[in-house]
Amino acid sequence: MYSPYDFNQSIAHRAEYVEERLKGGAPVVGISYDKGVLLLTVKRTQRKIFEIYDQLMYSAIGNQADVEAVRLAAIDFAHAEGFQRSPDDVSIQRLVGFAISPPLKRSFGDPLSTPNVLRAIFVEMGKRPEKDVFFILNYDGEFSTHSRFAVVAGRDASELAMHEELEKYSDVPDLATALQRAVAAWRRGAQDQPAATDDDADDEATDRASTEDIPDPLAQALEDGEIEAAILERDTSRESKFRMLRADELKDVVATPANANS
Amino acid sequence: MDFATSRPGDFSRLVQVLPTPETTTTHQPHGVGESHSATSFVETHGTTVIAVKYKEGVLNVADRRATAGMGVMYDRAEKILALDDHTIVAISGSFATSIQMARYLRHSFKYYSRSQLQPMSLEGKLAELTRAISNNLPMLLQGIGAFIPVLSAYDLEADQGRIFFYDGMGARFESSEFGAAGSGSSAIRGSFDYIVRTKKPFSEMDLQEALRECLILLDIAADLDAATGGYSKILPAAKAVTRDGVLTLDESQMTDVLRQMEDGVLGAIPPVRAHRIDADSESI
Repeated sequence: MYSPYDFNQSIAHRAEYVEERLKGGAPVVGISYDKGVLLLTVKRTQRKIFEIYDQLMYSAIGNQADVEAVRLAAIDFAHAEGFQRSPDDVSIQRLVGFAISPPLKRSFGDPLSTPNVLRAIFVEMGKRPEKDVFFILNYDGEFSTHSRFAVVAGRDASELAMHEELEKYSDVPDLATALQRAVAAWRRGAQDQPAATDDDADDEATDRASTEDIPDPLAQALEDGEIEAAILERDTSRESKFRMLRADELKDVVATPANANS
Repeated sequence: MDFATSRPGDFSRLVQVLPTPETTTTHQPHGVGESHSATSFVETHGTTVIAVKYKEGVLNVADRRATAGMGVMYDRAEKILALDDHTIVAISGSFATSIQMARYLRHSFKYYSRSQLQPMSLEGKLAELTRAISNNLPMLLQGIGAFIPVLSAYDLEADQGRIFFYDGMGARFESSEFGAAGSGSSAIRGSFDYIVRTKKPFSEMDLQEALRECLILLDIAADLDAATGGYSKILPAAKAVTRDGVLTLDESQMTDVLRQMEDGVLGAIPPVRAHRIDADSESI
């Protein structure tokens, strides 16, 4: 017989299963700047930042298939709505709150299905930087809204560290500054990860974390990956406001040493 | 997750049907609703649109008039619409279906590139337009809602501008130099050829020269076709599609070209200022 106890157990197990798989995800940083919004992460092989609609973009950590399923569902909803009503009616609130979150929650609560491994960040660009909205959507359908910046990472500790880094600033940056801050936050998020591996941390790792001589996590990540960054541009007259940043636009931030921002 | 299974980038499946106005199938009793029947209804039409190649791509020029029967419905109609960074469409015929069709195509192209993570090919875009036109056939047979678009695209693979025009059923034709559609187009069709044979091919002209020829042609169309707007009050609209994106020609700058035409000064060609919309150099 299936008891309430089993239900709680099942949910806890599923959450544990998902959290375990999210741990390794490379963080994603979102920052709102004067002429648009920026998402930045480091990718290995697969692209991670995607355009959803005219003023919406998305990125997520987790299982590729789940990231893709949410992406396609979001694009379907946004385009059907945008065509049948108007592009102005496609809001991040409607998209995440009504179209994506409820099925995610249903699927998470269904003990007979594999849970979705995913933590996503959605961004809506407004007319002004204050109007930019970030939504963080969790695998269980929970979502939270943020302004100015938002982050997703594999662990709470990493997200906290990244928040700490970004809360230092209260101004609206330009793109170059936003990139610098995003990279600094990404470093913090990636850095705090090994220290949080409490279960199987061996002595060597603990020693290393205790000294100041921690290798630059960005440099490590760039050994077999590259920075991926995309923007939505506020004032462009192009049909699509979304644009991936080119390698030459990212050159400067990649070259900036780890201690430049600290 | 009970998300719908992926549709491989086909926007028409997402919105179920291509956007055609619903046809009335209900039987109307004799003598009732006569004034609302299709026969007495007068729909709004766009009139003359011109597309010519020039050195850097394709230039489109259109008058701003939309007519309903003998009346002028609107004098500031925008009949050249950008569909994406490298495609523009000039519309003639039923205004309602044209605008809806452009809205549909814009969404369809974007839906494809966003969901499939690659831009729709030019062939794909042309087929999509064919589908939109042929789907409109029932309307065409009822005598309303017919529209004839001219599609101008910059073909990045072939690195050249291309012009395609259609008939009412969706047959697609590619033009080597120019295309025109709308009520005023038949009056000037031969003139295109005359210019190509006596002056030079449009594809060898620069933007200023091509604009000037188009404005003259449009002026002739306005003289010969009652439904085509001249430009004594409102200037025509002009857009060009190039490798680097879509150009919207500055309205105030066109007045210089027009003034010269009125003065009969043919020698100096004034520069044309345009507002450039840069294409995304990464394809998506």
